[in-house]
Amino acid sequence: MSYSVKREKEDRPVKKLLRILLTLSVLLTGCASNSSVPTPGQVQNNPLDKEWTTILSEAKGTTVNFYMWGGDERTNTWVDAVVASSMLKEYGVKVNRVPMGPDEYLNKLIGEKQANKQEGSIDLVWINGENFRTARQANLLWGPFADKVPNYQNYVDKTAPDIANDFGFPVEGYEVPYGKAQFVFASDTTKVKNPPKSSAELLEWLKKHPGRFTYPELPDFTGSVFVRQLMYELCGGYQAFPYTEQVNKATLNKQLQPLWDYLGAAKGYLWRQGKTYPSSIAALHQLFADGEVDITMSYNPAIFSGMIEQGLLPNSVRTNLWNNGTIGNTHFLAIPFNAANKNGALALADFMLSPEAQLSKYEPKNWGDLISLDVNKLDPQSLKDLEGINPGIATLSTEELQTHRLPEISAAYIPVIEELWKEQVIQSGQ
Amino acid sequence: MDRSKALGHIVLVSILLVLILPFLVLIIWSFSQGWASNALLPNEFGLRGWRYLFSQQSRMLSSLGMSILISLVVTGFGMILSIPAGKALGLYIFPGKRLIELLVLAPTIIPTIAVGMGIQIAFIRYGLADTLLGVILVHLPLVLPYGIRIFASIYKALGTKWEDQAKILKANGWQRFWFTSLPFLYPGMISAGVLMFNVSFSQYFLTYLIGGGKIMTLPILLFPFVNSGDRVMASGLSLIFILSSLILMLIIERVITDSEEKTNVYYL
Repeated sequence: MSYSVKREKEDRPVKKLLRILLTLSVLLTGCASNSSVPTPGQVQNNPLDKEWTTILSEAKGTTVNFYMWGGDERTNTWVDAVVASSMLKEYGVKVNRVPMGPDEYLNKLIGEKQANKQEGSIDLVWINGENFRTARQANLLWGPFADKVPNYQNYVDKTAPDIANDFGFPVEGYEVPYGKAQFVFASDTTKVKNPPKSSAELLEWLKKHPGRFTYPELPDFTGSVFVRQLMYELCGGYQAFPYTEQVNKATLNKQLQPLWDYLGAAKGYLWRQGKTYPSSIAALHQLFADGEVDITMSYNPAIFSGMIEQGLLPNSVRTNLWNNGTIGNTHFLAIPFNAANKNGALALADFMLSPEAQLSKYEPKNWGDLISLDVNKLDPQSLKDLEGINPGIATLSTEELQTHRLPEISAAYIPVIEELWKEQVIQSGQ
Repeated sequence: MDRSKALGHIVLVSILLVLILPFLVLIIWSFSQGWASNALLPNEFGLRGWRYLFSQQSRMLSSLGMSILISLVVTGFGMILSIPAGKALGLYIFPGKRLIELLVLAPTIIPTIAVGMGIQIAFIRYGLADTLLGVILVHLPLVLPYGIRIFASIYKALGTKWEDQAKILKANGWQRFWFTSLPFLYPGMISAGVLMFNVSFSQYFLTYLIGGGKIMTLPILLFPFVNSGDRVMASGLSLIFILSSLILMLIIERVITDSEEKTNVYYL
């Protein structure tokens, strides 16, 4: 009895507390809906209406928050040491690198868009492909700003297909290119005197050297690029695959028939007769290092020089391209819709596209990333400096890569091609 | 007798091995330079990872400090909130008690990803996004279930008899808590403190969502390296992560434990 009485007594403060909490939360939500209405006149003065010199002088003394994937210590160090110190010296702008990749910062921006936050914390992002498309379609980017950036005007070939489009999606000045990657093949020159330089040559080579070639099983990233590389050669080039959001599987399958015929004919000559494939590019590199196959491949044209330097591959390994070119992609810089420091972001983008920054980025010990500028537009001194950089013993020259570069197609095709490959190459063979 | 003793030793050693082996692998990885996939040991050792982690660029030390600050504050507030809440849930019967119990547990049941976006938008509206206060606030509901559950079960076991006794001796409410109940709570405070600290210390998703890259903690620094498969760097950071949380847990235990009578009772 006494228990129940006491409990009733103790009961009351709890109820009271609950009531207070409820009232508070109602009040708070009430306040919130009021404060979310944007106040008029809050619109920033637009840097696009200003002169470049004004932009630079207003940027002086500010900090730019640069959001980029932070999983590579060399890239991080390059941004923190080279870029940040030059920016401070030449533009008076502080660079704060934030190790946050596109998946995360896009989420953040979508949230800020919904909450109508006009002053965000992200000033500049490293972006490309699918993420750029998502950002554009959700109106998360500010621009078009590319033409405002002097070094973009001076040094970039704006009409090049891999710069005007990002995985087939039109760039329209909402991002500026700051680096590139390109697909290359590699072989040991002591074993392969004349590496194949087209799909036809590869098939011929395969017939003469059965079991000495294979590619990573799709959907491995590099295996997927290799199949697209063949597809470009056999099915009418990248022009035959216009930009699209929705891919019809049956139509695409018909269009890819020459590719399936080719892979069917090649299958018996692959490593282990194509009954099995290496599961990843790392596994293929291992087969290559062990001498089980004679040719390997990569989307990073400088990787083999690094592997030679580390002693993982013999000194005689060299890379090569195909005569009709190989697939490349470009990475870009973009400015979010609510960047608080657009002036600083423009200054940093301009510096990233300067020959100085691009050459230092190309230096293998710094990063080894390909330059995004048109070599024909470089001033003689920069060109000389570029030629002076040793990209590594097995890496091809910038000119050679640039003149053999083909753009990526729309990202929507890629999963469908991978699915079809499974049906046509793996399942039909059994 | 001897045989069972030997068996005991074998069991002990194998448990230790299972616990320690992963650490060993982490240590070896953090010092390796190149490690072929089919080799037992790395073919070359180096300091690439450690040199980078302790360089200024990596911001390891500042984010470690930030992590510790956030987790300690969260643990402190978590303790202050969960002791009275645990008392209420452990001792009293009131309408809607089941519902409140369920709500308290909700953060451990509902995946944070499901509510993350909503929380983010609300926090942006209140001006809490990208702030330290916001990150601390968003960690709190995640750690509370652990504290509240532990204190609720302690109070349930304790009952009201000790406080009733003190009441008879004219102790006021504060005195009853401080001198009568609190000593019984010490072991629970250790378990709750360690758990709450760890939950907050290893939080990634909500920290990056609400902290927005402005609030740099150790997991935020670690994640990109794990994601990109840089094992040397990831191992080094993981070791720092594990060691610092271990050391801090020991400190928490020391601070809370009553030096006069060390109890070994854990209410979990």
